[in-house]
Amino acid sequence: MKIIVAIKQVPERDAQVRIDPVGKWIEELDVQFALNESDAYALEEALQLKEKHGGEVIVISAGPERAGQVIREALAKGADRGIHIEADDLGSRDALGVARLLAAAIQPENPDLVLAGLQSEDLGLGQTGVILAELLGFPHSSLILHVDVTAKGLKVKRELEEGWFQSIELPLPAVLAIQSGGNKLRYATLMGIKRAKTKEVRRASAGELGADASPVVILEGISLPQKQRSTQILPGSPKEASAALVEKLRFEARVL
Amino acid sequence: MLLPHATLAEPQHFSLAEKLIFLALIVASIAAFWRRFGAVLDKILKSKKDPGFRLFPIGRRVWDFFREVMCQARVIRQRPLPGLAHAFVFWAFCAFALVTLNHCATGFGGAFLDPAGLFGRFYSWLAAAFALACAIGIFGLFVRRFLVRPRWLGEDLSWESGLIALLIFVLMVTYLAAFFVTDTAPAARVLWWIHSLTLLAFLPVIPHTKHLHLVLSPFTIFLSRGGFSAIPSLAGDEDFGLVAGKDLTQIVSLQTYSCVECGRCSEHCPATNTGKLLNPKEIVLGLRGYLNEFGPASEESLIGKYVAQEAVFQCTTCGSCEFQCPVGIEHVPILVGLRRGAVNTGAWDDDHGGKLFLALERGSNALGLGAAERDKFIQRQELPIFDGSQEYCLWLGCMGGYDPQGREIIADFARVMSYLGTSFGVLRKEKCTGDPVRRLGNDLVFQQLAESNLETLQQNKVKKIVSICPHCVRTIQTDWKEFGTPPEIEHHSEFLARHLDKLGVSPVPRLEPGKEKIVYHDPCYLGRYRNIYDEPRRVAALAGDLVEAPRHRERSFCCGAGGGLAFLGEEKGERVSHARAAELAATGATTVAAACPFCNTMFRDALAATGDGAPQLLDIAQIAARGLPRGQPVKMNESL
Repeated sequence: MKIIVAIKQVPERDAQVRIDPVGKWIEELDVQFALNESDAYALEEALQLKEKHGGEVIVISAGPERAGQVIREALAKGADRGIHIEADDLGSRDALGVARLLAAAIQPENPDLVLAGLQSEDLGLGQTGVILAELLGFPHSSLILHVDVTAKGLKVKRELEEGWFQSIELPLPAVLAIQSGGNKLRYATLMGIKRAKTKEVRRASAGELGADASPVVILEGISLPQKQRSTQILPGSPKEASAALVEKLRFEARVL
Repeated sequence: MLLPHATLAEPQHFSLAEKLIFLALIVASIAAFWRRFGAVLDKILKSKKDPGFRLFPIGRRVWDFFREVMCQARVIRQRPLPGLAHAFVFWAFCAFALVTLNHCATGFGGAFLDPAGLFGRFYSWLAAAFALACAIGIFGLFVRRFLVRPRWLGEDLSWESGLIALLIFVLMVTYLAAFFVTDTAPAARVLWWIHSLTLLAFLPVIPHTKHLHLVLSPFTIFLSRGGFSAIPSLAGDEDFGLVAGKDLTQIVSLQTYSCVECGRCSEHCPATNTGKLLNPKEIVLGLRGYLNEFGPASEESLIGKYVAQEAVFQCTTCGSCEFQCPVGIEHVPILVGLRRGAVNTGAWDDDHGGKLFLALERGSNALGLGAAERDKFIQRQELPIFDGSQEYCLWLGCMGGYDPQGREIIADFARVMSYLGTSFGVLRKEKCTGDPVRRLGNDLVFQQLAESNLETLQQNKVKKIVSICPHCVRTIQTDWKEFGTPPEIEHHSEFLARHLDKLGVSPVPRLEPGKEKIVYHDPCYLGRYRNIYDEPRRVAALAGDLVEAPRHRERSFCCGAGGGLAFLGEEKGERVSHARAAELAATGATTVAAACPFCNTMFRDALAATGDGAPQLLDIAQIAARGLPRGQPVKMNESL
């Protein structure tokens, strides 16, 4: 089974982000980057499928030079080879634009299965995987926690709202958007990193892929959330105060 | 009354037949010795060469050899009575080297020591004194092993040890008895033959039993890597630690064959003592078993038939085994080496361990919390940021930056530093030093953390660090050296002890001098690893009278947190922390003084479990802070 995993490099979870002077992106200089979390689960799912059914795992990532780091990490964890779409203008491309780049690079590989993380930790659009499926003409399913290979194709477990799960079957080739938490992630090893040095990473530029870069969604600007403190002191006896607290938790905060 | 003669009887005029028989027996004895010893030597020499091994500077080796081998310092110090008995046996053996050569030469009519001559008489009487001490010593050891039977010597009685004791006893008695007969008496000849036969029987027994240590352990001690618990660097692209036989180095192989099975390592091991699978002696003997079966070039995994993975990951790296070992076996590098082999190749699968590794691959701290939590703590506590102008960089560490108890220690230590007028600052960004991943064998993450931290320290032009955590101190000072030059670092106990004259100027509130009994717990990484025992005691004594737990100083018993085990979830058997907390509480102390945030966190719950009236638990920095004059601006230690 030939599996392609689309991964993205995003700012580290606890990075202190600042808005750049143009107001359309963050200052990247003092930020550390890491592999997007749900992409790590997509990779893990691919590696486990390969361990069970054999085949090849290829990772693909679009991004500037620094994105090579997450490709090497994925190779270290067990992916067989990588494709790096070198593009510095991802900020001005919308999800459709990125999906077009990915689709153009994936098409000639003729994969059996394409996995993507459910959504990125930076933009959180949750669209790239789904659009990619449309561009490739593959059936797709998202919010996937578990994948089984059957005689006819795949049987997948989807996570729905309020603790519900859905089990569906779909034929191959297919695109799945993987939800975080379905598997136990493997840790990176020294041996993996050393072996990864000998693995192939093919570089492709956006120009070579010839994908249409004109966006349909234009980013107007980004901003940091405003901090606000709204502490309330609930007056009265402990009994009255706790009754008022329950009231507020139930109807204002809606957590009960 | 039977009195000894002035000279040792030496039979003369051996017949040709006697000489030929004696010669044949010598050849047979040496052949039987070599058959086994040659095989062992071959396995040791065919093991991988130790990368980075250097014979020089040789002074340290000569000193270790003199102290540990010639003076038997460790043998005696850690178990005085049996140690002394052993030392007399050893010294007698040394004295007997010349006696034995002369004895054999006598059989061929070539004796070179004249028993009536000045030197000959002196030496034979000197040897007699040693022989007497040795005979008494070996008898004492025999009584200990077969009648007293301490459980560290194993359940089964060792017939080998009995045989060896008997042989040594016979050697000494036959030597001494020769003072009571004359040269020409038939008894002299009988004694000579008994002595000779015993000697020739003794030689082949050596390599076939644990008495191989007679031959090997002087080399083991002389060739040891040196440094306590020194983890060797990996060499080349194919070195992932101890994976298979081919990874066992000559020094490790030499050590495994040197083990004398005395059980001192097990006696002090926190894992063995609380019902875990790990027994450091069995790890060493397991590797020996592996070498015997598979040999040093094998690709067969070390973890498997002879060494259990579960046991390897139960080590707290407290180092008491290595500290105790009288034959120079370096257990901690072996155990960490086995972990490296399992982790660097991805063979170790553990939910907690995997989580810790992932947290440190991506994040900054072993607790898996966001770095923003540390920033909030620094802001709330109004800790100054290090800008290069201050004397000290106060290293927070994972516990000091993220753990509520660790933060209390930092807050109090910062107050003390401010009171003393010492300038200090904390780094804006800091990552885990890598201690838990280093000890768990994850070299990849350790290297990333060490390099990233070294870069931060260099950018900030840090010259001096002070830390509340002995694990941070050890890792920064020793383990980081593989990747750069770390700044000078000291533990806060050293800092506090140096400023003791300015502390304790007012009575410590809540702790009443005279009434307060304080027991100080030696953290492994401060005591055995750093040799700091007195400084924290002096600080702890600010608040009351010190009492000692039964196991203290270099024999201190681990809290159970080291070696990354604090992050590996529930332990099997009794909790190490509970065993130690019960021991500390049983001293009747009103306060337990700790000097390590990991010990602190382990004892917090464990002391509560000792029942009502459990002693309070304070870090030495907290004790020092409570003695500061009132009226100082005190920031509350808010917990988050």
